[in-house]
Amino acid sequence: MREFLATRTAVLDWLRTLGQQGDVFFPQPMGENSFNFDKVRKNSLLAFEDFDAGSKDKPFRASTCVQPPGKRLSPNNEQIFRFSKNGNGEYQLTPTLDERERILAGVRPCDLKAIHLMDRVNSDGIPDAHYLSRRQNTAIIAHDCLQPCDEHCFCDATDSLHWRQGADVFLTPQPEAQLLMEALTECGEQLLSAAGFPPCDDIEKRRALAEEKRAKPFGRHFDAPLQQVIDAVSNSWESPVWDKHVERCFACGTCNLVCPTCYCFDLQDDFNIGDPDSGQRTRSWDGCMLEEFAVVAGGHNFRPQLAARQRHRIKRKLAYLPARFGDGSFCVGCGRCGHQCTVDIDIFDIANDLLAATEAKP
Amino acid sequence: MKPVDFDANVLTPHMARILEARDMTAQERFFRLQLPRPLNHRPGQFVMASIPGIGEAPISISCGPRDDDQLELLVRNTGSLTRTMHQLQAGDAMGIRGPFGSGFELTEFEGHDVIFVAGGLGLAPLRSLIEPVVGDPQRFGRATLISGCRTPADELYREQMQAWAKLPNTRIIRLVNDTAHLPWNGEVGLVTAPIAKLEMDVPNTLAVLCGPPVMYKFVIMALAARGLPSAQIFIDLERRMRCGIGKCGHCQINHVTCCQEGPVFRFSDLESLPEALT
Repeated sequence: MREFLATRTAVLDWLRTLGQQGDVFFPQPMGENSFNFDKVRKNSLLAFEDFDAGSKDKPFRASTCVQPPGKRLSPNNEQIFRFSKNGNGEYQLTPTLDERERILAGVRPCDLKAIHLMDRVNSDGIPDAHYLSRRQNTAIIAHDCLQPCDEHCFCDATDSLHWRQGADVFLTPQPEAQLLMEALTECGEQLLSAAGFPPCDDIEKRRALAEEKRAKPFGRHFDAPLQQVIDAVSNSWESPVWDKHVERCFACGTCNLVCPTCYCFDLQDDFNIGDPDSGQRTRSWDGCMLEEFAVVAGGHNFRPQLAARQRHRIKRKLAYLPARFGDGSFCVGCGRCGHQCTVDIDIFDIANDLLAATEAKP
Repeated sequence: MKPVDFDANVLTPHMARILEARDMTAQERFFRLQLPRPLNHRPGQFVMASIPGIGEAPISISCGPRDDDQLELLVRNTGSLTRTMHQLQAGDAMGIRGPFGSGFELTEFEGHDVIFVAGGLGLAPLRSLIEPVVGDPQRFGRATLISGCRTPADELYREQMQAWAKLPNTRIIRLVNDTAHLPWNGEVGLVTAPIAKLEMDVPNTLAVLCGPPVMYKFVIMALAARGLPSAQIFIDLERRMRCGIGKCGHCQINHVTCCQEGPVFRFSDLESLPEALT
């Protein structure tokens, strides 16, 4: 695969041009301190952080978008099928598959790993055609992080910082407002070749430059290696830690909503207004922190206590799904749940507390 | 980019035609459906049944494996979808996806005595296993069904149970909690009561349970008191299921996805899942 070197301006112009030709998504400012992973339009404010930028620069361009890029592959209120009924009471059902090509650009390593994990989930057992058709028509242009995006970041602690799998093109900041561009797939190769960027002939040196610049230590780290954290969470069932953090929780589900590896959904049927013989089934995001998540017909709730629901959420990220898929932590350390939580409940703190509680045991 | 070459219809139902629809009790309505293609289900599996525009719900398959393209369901009226289903008549359409779940492996029951314990609507899924077991006495051992419900008016599959009772090597024990001043020719009490005095070849017996969550604890205690090991007890669990393909997350029990690994579990496999019998 080939490597290229170009100025940031040239790369951003290229993304803008691609955005004129099709659907390109890129982190764009939303309010004063946050970003939204939005469609690139003619007047979009596109930028990458500088090689020398520090994470104290606000808004810092490497900040995570409030909604992770991967949510573009499983959008809320996604249509699953349309139906219509004729005069004889016969139904016609038409599945909706989104096969439009799109590019997700400026995806950070933590979110890239999350997309990889969602690829695993949606290909597992009976595959989810709706996700996979969108995924297979999506190219990803990822961007390395040399500084933690904010004080919530702990991607290095969850083995996400150096993630590259799933990216078609990988961008690494370089001095003098340049970007190293590496094609990692055929698709990436085609994208870059068509753009006519100058080749990079000192790739090892360029990579070393970035590695040298990378903050060390990078972001927050657990009080023990990741495997010990996974073991501690896996082995904690009855623990006072489950009651400690949940005391101030509202069960609002924000942590589910912003998590790049939360994928639970509900299905909803609707008739078209004005034509009750037609309509659609859509799926919308759901969250295991919400009270009705495990309620069955007749009203029985299999997880009525908030602490049990939080335990379930934390264990899905750091125990259940890692064990099921054998692909490491399903928490990618993006820090969104802690950052966006209205009462500052942070999975990072919960994990460290479980670790301490486990070690304290004789 | 690569084309998508898999069955896109996994979340889109096939439309079935209702051949027979009748109320079995005030709460439960029986449906026999004509499917566009054979379901090839195993006992203990379920389908996602729907009315487009109204909604979709998991419904246990209540008939044994069959060669034709028909399917039987028993639907309790508990919400807006099932209320609407109760208005459907022969000739109407119903959406069906599936079959989903692991179900029972019939070969595991070969040569064994089987005790079925059904609480209320739990008889509907168990019927998918009872039918093949009582229908083939050469292949399976003695079948015992303990079926309990609240009052005689709530009893399901009454005529069929009476027919099963006449089959060789088959015992049927029918109970109600309360006769409610209605005629009743069965026993009165809980499903746990007959277990204590049941003639039982313990090493060669398998028990299969389906009923409300509260029933399991006491039935398991009664079976354990008779010395039946947990590896010889099967339980059919109920959970919220929205997709049937292990993706929507609602039915997860600890690390297990009920719609994939279940809803039928060997009890010994549930002992490591603290959320299973809550």
